[in-house]
Amino acid sequence: MNSQTTKTLSLLVGAILIAALPFWAGDQYQLHLAALIAVYWILIAGLNLVVGFTGQLSIGHVGLLSIGSYTFAILAGKMGIDPTLSVFVSGLLGGLCGLALGLPSLRLPGFYFAMATMAFSMIVNEIVLAQVDLTGGGIGLPGPMFPKPFDSPIGFYYLVTAIALFVTWLTWNIARRMWGRAFISIRDNPVAAQAVGVPVFKAKLLAFVFSGITAGVSGALFASLQSYITPDTFVFELSMFFFVCIIIGGRGSIIGPFLGTVVLTALPELVSPLAKLGNFFYGLLLLVVVLVVPEGIGRMFEIISERLRPRTVHREPITPDLNRLAKALKVRE
Amino acid sequence: MLTVIVTGLAIGMLYASIALVYNVMFSTSKVLSVTTGHLSMVGGVFGAYIISVLHMHWLWGLLGAVLAGATFGWLTDVLAIRRVLARSDEHLWLLSTLALATMVQQGVGLWWGTEPKPFPRLITQEFGAGLMDQKFWLPIGMAIVMTIGLEFFYRKTMYGKVFIAMSEDAFAARARGVSTDKIRLLSYVLSGALGGLAGFAAGQLTFAFFALGHTLTLLGFIALAVGGLGSNIGALIGGAALGLLNSFASYYFGGEYQQTIAVGLLMVVLLIKPEGLLGAKNVRPV
Amino acid sequence: MSVMPAELQAINISKQFGGLSALDQVSLSLRPGEVHGLIGPNGSGKTTLLNLLSGYYQPTSGAIKLGDEDLSLASVQRRAAVGVARTFQKPRLLPMLSVLENATLGAWSHSESGFVASAVSLPSVAREDKKFLDQTTELLHGVGLGHVIHRRANLLDHAEQRFLEIARGLAMRPSFILLDEPAGGLTTQEIDHLSQVIHTLRSSGIGVLLVEHHTDFVFRISDRVTTLNVGKMIKHGASDEVRTDPEVIRVYLGA
Repeated sequence: MNSQTTKTLSLLVGAILIAALPFWAGDQYQLHLAALIAVYWILIAGLNLVVGFTGQLSIGHVGLLSIGSYTFAILAGKMGIDPTLSVFVSGLLGGLCGLALGLPSLRLPGFYFAMATMAFSMIVNEIVLAQVDLTGGGIGLPGPMFPKPFDSPIGFYYLVTAIALFVTWLTWNIARRMWGRAFISIRDNPVAAQAVGVPVFKAKLLAFVFSGITAGVSGALFASLQSYITPDTFVFELSMFFFVCIIIGGRGSIIGPFLGTVVLTALPELVSPLAKLGNFFYGLLLLVVVLVVPEGIGRMFEIISERLRPRTVHREPITPDLNRLAKALKVRE
Repeated sequence: MLTVIVTGLAIGMLYASIALVYNVMFSTSKVLSVTTGHLSMVGGVFGAYIISVLHMHWLWGLLGAVLAGATFGWLTDVLAIRRVLARSDEHLWLLSTLALATMVQQGVGLWWGTEPKPFPRLITQEFGAGLMDQKFWLPIGMAIVMTIGLEFFYRKTMYGKVFIAMSEDAFAARARGVSTDKIRLLSYVLSGALGGLAGFAAGQLTFAFFALGHTLTLLGFIALAVGGLGSNIGALIGGAALGLLNSFASYYFGGEYQQTIAVGLLMVVLLIKPEGLLGAKNVRPV
Repeated sequence: MSVMPAELQAINISKQFGGLSALDQVSLSLRPGEVHGLIGPNGSGKTTLLNLLSGYYQPTSGAIKLGDEDLSLASVQRRAAVGVARTFQKPRLLPMLSVLENATLGAWSHSESGFVASAVSLPSVAREDKKFLDQTTELLHGVGLGHVIHRRANLLDHAEQRFLEIARGLAMRPSFILLDEPAGGLTTQEIDHLSQVIHTLRSSGIGVLLVEHHTDFVFRISDRVTTLNVGKMIKHGASDEVRTDPEVIRVYLGA
């Protein structure tokens, strides 16, 4: 069975498992966990384009999540606006804030940019705490539910899963075509990116705004899932968590960060000593990955399989086919 | 009003000290480490632990803070920097120092607790000492001492001159027989000690609090960026500006928008003069 | 009849870095369908001139023009868009992508697929991508990398990397391609193959600027040659003329 068939089969099996999850998952708690993974993944899939593809190390996305959550809680909860519309507005606002943050900071070198995003998330937290009338300050706000049929845990699970699948599809489309290559060139060799004509700043900004939209949507769904949000929910360590999911899963891939999200969300729940260690564990994991397999765990599997089944690389000489070259150069459209 | 100024200067000098620490680390490794703020946090926490919990004289607390900072600095180089610099991927050190910083912050939180605990008095003084309160002049004095000390170190000592050589051209330094790995390690240990010292000196202002780490990393960085990377005088100016701005803003608008104002300052400076007030312009090679 | 084809020109270019003068009143013109060699000892300003032509530096005085368009201050991306491609002395590839993906990146400026259109995978996007992949596959076979099309770029050897850079440049459908020491580290046979490829580029109407240290190689395949020394041009003209010029010989034997 070749690797393409294996891939398709695994995806199919995965899809069936996901679709049938409410029926094989043990209890409500696990269903809630699965929905949480889907909600996180919506944000992380978008952030993946920023961190994993264009290589911009944003550690402030919890701020955008927070904006999405509070927007939803205020619109759908306090103001009684239709939840579906509220989700759209949350996404839009997330995108706008992404634009506002990205415009000045994406031109800055790596560390400066990371600090700017960290500062952003701290500012959002400050504003949320300060605007007590709007956000409930330290007390927080309730996160309203969606109308039928999404008001039940199973219904909500299917809602967020459907949205997550849609967002995954969007990012997959970007990743596998020209934009994906352009993004990766920005990450791995910006000089080469310029040389072929990639508008480096504009591309970074596009990815960033996209990630703002997905963060906004994720925030809205997050508020509804958790039923109550407070400023304490949106700590810097949550930004780190998103970030670590991507790095551990492997930059430049979609499935890697997805698996990373699943594992890192589920792990502390399943292995309770880890839950106590909390964010220390994420830090440790990130350090280990960076030192040992910086390309992510996915790459580690590749390295292992290469050790087990070494593929000899056949070195052939470079023999130009000049006729073919001449023909190829004649094509001018 | 004078209180506002003095408070602002005092906290500003903590930020300035952290900016100095950034400079020392950057000079030999061209790395801006996320662990920088955490060095101070560790200094404050260990100092408080030794004095308040172990009931030892404050000199031991000072020593403990310096040692804790130095050890952490050493760890930063050994774990997060050394192996990472060898690889070609430029920003891996950002991830590794971020990871280490998180581990240390969370670790301290697990051990020390998540509530800010008061930092003990070092010299007997009434709490109503007003402007002359040690919580003000300790950090201010410390920053000045550190700056002068570093000046002396760079100009008059062998190691200091090697630092400067490395910061200007590490390749050439290595070609002249300088063991750049050892020097870098030394600079990290030194900056760790300085960071721990700064955190200890400012402890009465900040309290011993595990969550200070990331905040100080950011605010120290803002002081650094405003003053200009590589300039110690710039660090003092940047720190003072940031501290005073925070202090005045707290006084006039309430303390709710401190971060917002701090970042506002940074953004304005970076937009006008990206290399900071006293920083050098970089030449970009192809 | 046909319009006089546009030349890529450096006109009286001077470039100073701080107090250092890297180039002093140098002129060079690159015609479509010619191979133009640029030689000179280390420090002569070859790379600086290359960087000025491709947009990584701006001239202190003088102009860079493509036909009538003044490119002196144009961005690197703009030059890519008007058909100026370049390779790098140290190949700048994307290590985690395949050879095919690396080369296809070159087609970027011809892509009309917007971000949103790509996200929703419009049929036009899929068609365009397939077209680029097919065209690049042909180019890769053409330069001799057909046997490694799907190999990851960080597994390539030195020669393969160099040829891949050229293929990526060709995927840009350039009118001019500036080669920065492409023969560095190649075996004699590989240099032969490189010559053949360059010859084919020439007959396809592409203007090739060849910056090189291998002077034999340059004189053999160039139509015209420009020689620099310490930032000044010392001789330019037909390849044979320059090769036998006494001052050129002195500069190279004395260097």
